Amino acid sequence: MNEITVRMKVNGRAHTARTAGRTTLADLLRDQLGLTGLHLGCEQGVCGACTVMVDGLPMRACLTLAGACEGSDVVTIEGLEGPDADRLRDAFSRHGALQCGFCTPGMLLSGHHLVCARQPLDREEVSVAMSGNICRCTGYNGIVSAVGEALERGIAAEEAATATWNDEE
Amino acid sequence: MAGRGYFVADIQLPGLREVAFVRSQVAHGRIRGISVPQTDREAVWTAARLGPFAEPLTATSTLEGFRAAALPNLAEDKVRYVGEPVALAIAGTRAEAEDVAARVGVDLEPLPAVVDFAAALAPDAPKVHDDWPDNIFATTAGEVGEVDAAAREADVTVTREYTLHRQAVVPLETRGVIAHYNRSTGELVVWSSTQTPHMIRDMIALQLGMEARSVRVIATDMGGGFGAKCSVYPEEITLAAIATQVDHPVRWVEDRSEAQVASTQARDHRHRITAYAAADGTLLGVEADILVNSGAYSVHPWTATMDATMASAMIPGPYRLHNYRFRTRSLASNKTPSGPYRGVARPAAAFSIERTIDELAHELGMEPYEVRIKNMVRSEEMPYVSAANKVYDSGDYPEAVRRATALIEHDAWRKRQRALPASARRRIGIGYGSFTEQTAHGCLEWAARGLAVTIGTEGARLAMDATGSFTLSVGIKTHGQGSETTLAQVVSEVFDVDLDHVTVSHGDTAMTPRGDGTFASRTMVMAGGATHGAALALAEKVKRIGAVLLDEPVDNTVLRDHAVVGKKDSVTYARLAKEFLFTPDHVPGVEAGLEVTHYYRPEVQTGAFTYATQVAVVEVDLDTGAVKLLDYAAVEDCGTVVNPRIVDGQIIGGIAQGIGNALLEEIVHDADGQPKSTSFLDYLLPGATEVPHIKIEHMATPSPHTAFGVKGAGEGGAIPPPAAIANAVRDALREYGTQVNETPMTPERVWTALQLSATTAEASNQATREATR
Repeated sequence: MNEITVRMKVNGRAHTARTAGRTTLADLLRDQLGLTGLHLGCEQGVCGACTVMVDGLPMRACLTLAGACEGSDVVTIEGLEGPDADRLRDAFSRHGALQCGFCTPGMLLSGHHLVCARQPLDREEVSVAMSGNICRCTGYNGIVSAVGEALERGIAAEEAATATWNDEE
Repeated sequence: MAGRGYFVADIQLPGLREVAFVRSQVAHGRIRGISVPQTDREAVWTAARLGPFAEPLTATSTLEGFRAAALPNLAEDKVRYVGEPVALAIAGTRAEAEDVAARVGVDLEPLPAVVDFAAALAPDAPKVHDDWPDNIFATTAGEVGEVDAAAREADVTVTREYTLHRQAVVPLETRGVIAHYNRSTGELVVWSSTQTPHMIRDMIALQLGMEARSVRVIATDMGGGFGAKCSVYPEEITLAAIATQVDHPVRWVEDRSEAQVASTQARDHRHRITAYAAADGTLLGVEADILVNSGAYSVHPWTATMDATMASAMIPGPYRLHNYRFRTRSLASNKTPSGPYRGVARPAAAFSIERTIDELAHELGMEPYEVRIKNMVRSEEMPYVSAANKVYDSGDYPEAVRRATALIEHDAWRKRQRALPASARRRIGIGYGSFTEQTAHGCLEWAARGLAVTIGTEGARLAMDATGSFTLSVGIKTHGQGSETTLAQVVSEVFDVDLDHVTVSHGDTAMTPRGDGTFASRTMVMAGGATHGAALALAEKVKRIGAVLLDEPVDNTVLRDHAVVGKKDSVTYARLAKEFLFTPDHVPGVEAGLEVTHYYRPEVQTGAFTYATQVAVVEVDLDTGAVKLLDYAAVEDCGTVVNPRIVDGQIIGGIAQGIGNALLEEIVHDADGQPKSTSFLDYLLPGATEVPHIKIEHMATPSPHTAFGVKGAGEGGAIPPPAAIANAVRDALREYGTQVNETPMTPERVWTALQLSATTAEASNQATREATR
């Protein structure tokens, strides 16, 4: 078995791992780093439950080889922090956007990426943007509402901050 | 939401080793031999090696003529479906276990496979089970009233054949099992992603020949179940048995391609329905011939006849039907065994009766919703005993239809529909689906279906601790339904405490009183009823303790805001519990113990009937056959609503699955029984863009038969979407007379049906022209 050494930053901490060349990013994070917040729903890149951020982009950790992430900056659900993440988690709770919770980490990471883009979207556009993540429990209505609301609040917060900054000037 | 879920795949145990199964690659074949390389002998288990430690489970039935066949733990002589476990390999990691499994050679003599209904029934069909005379698990039949007389009286008769093709259940978390035999305590601990931990514990003990006291089953967090995780599986028994023979824990986590063939599947119904009606739309009689392809084996405890018998009981639907005749045949085939899936048989039953109601309406030139209202059981007739001898407990069925027409704005859609030009290539249709949802059935109901295990009780233990907070332990297993919240609400209601003072413990057989599990929309009624009973008994005791401490008569006390409140003074639960548990001598005359266990059993055995009417508005593309949902509404009555957000979540989630059933999901098999939908690339699930914003209205008529008047709400959402959407597509294509009688209604199926009907319409137009010439 070919072993490789992979160096990457995960949730802000530097890691060096020895692993088989065939190991996926998902297995490395779950089995070697104990980050079990990402879930394996299909291992074919369809369901999105394994979504993590790699260098600022949402990626399917099940289809990504760990070795391909040499030098990368990885963020998993355990390291998802900040005002947008807080607003998103809050909106998920209030809108009933989760039931069993298995898809939720991937939903939050995909949703977070969308919220951070600050692009105003209507309900249908949010649905399209979130269609890469499968949820079997909720029927998506709550998820789409929650992501849409967090997006609006993110845009509003930024506008308020800009306004305050302009006033101070 | 912080990544702290704890699923079977997340559990870490010292020495844990991983399992990979070797599964049959053919649908039907005789095993000539299994070869294992010398170096892998220790790591590989076959039927021969496992046999001494675990008996296969036979899911039999009390139905007359039922043919039983044991469900092998590992296949021994024959394999009977693609995915059947043949052997397993154990290694340090799953990847290594798969490497070992790949080196196991299975020498199979392929046999002709029995795949579809016709093949299973053919006189010269190959036998799935060699010692049976045919491929039928069981046949049932019955008649209520006089169907032949109704037929003679009828002004209109329609006969249709409906098929709901086979589906996978697809909880997003696949199944997973860990088994660990603790040699110091002699305890076998099995973690399983299961809806029914107590049942799994009993059956593991029985199949392994152990006493159940030595077996503990724990279900931790679960990523959904929907019925796929409430049967006893060979993998659970096999891992448990192996754990007793090796010196380390073993784990198996199903991968998605395994789940698509090895987890129980559902639907695969074909119903031939004939309905008789009077000219005014009165439904006079119904005949149903029901075929269910149940797959290769009968699974415990549901048996292979569950779907067929339930379909026959639910086809009368919410209607005043007095003349009803049915026959069911449950067929064995070389497909994955069937088990429960959200709605169990009712999506098919609703499809049959609801499509047929629409066909009658079309024949009579009536609005389909009017035919529904005309024939439905009325509120003044409640409780009403249906043609299938079910006690419909309460509600106003026609009112749900009326409200649904308002909620969807029926007349406005009809106007838009009529305004479309004849040349429009996209047509609009409106379709309704009404149903009754049997929830929380009792023992006699399961017995009537022939189950050997007549599920029907549920336990709850409520304890107040020394700090005055509550722990509720229940035998059900919540896995996304929010029962931690709704059951805590029951305690909160009785004791007037905030929810965050109540812990709900579930899923661990060592920590909870016996219960049957979470399925059949039963948790809120059954575990809720048990919790209510325990809470009332504990409340009575708490008041007695309070009365002693306050020196007031018990009758003067009430429970309010975390305290026993008397006429003169009050004592908080925190103080009361400390007094009673630390210094019982301060509370003379009250017997020891601050906990109560209560078992609930429903008084009316056919359960509490939730009902609803759902409406779909679709747009059908005549050129592609694609169906798009433009609007969707549901008016439902699940009795007293304990938690509106949770009920809405169940309804919307159910409707989403129903949309999958209606439009997308199908396990396709080729003629050799090879499944062709074993990944999410070819088994399509609804995504965010396939589920419209769903409008919901509640009616909330309490059931007279349950605590608080609650009825189950878990499955209803998923029951009528195939019927409502098919009726809408039929309505959209009304001018072509296109029959939409199969699910899923893929673009290909709709387009093909449209071409066939257009050809027929053209031919009949031609004939008319020639006749009039």
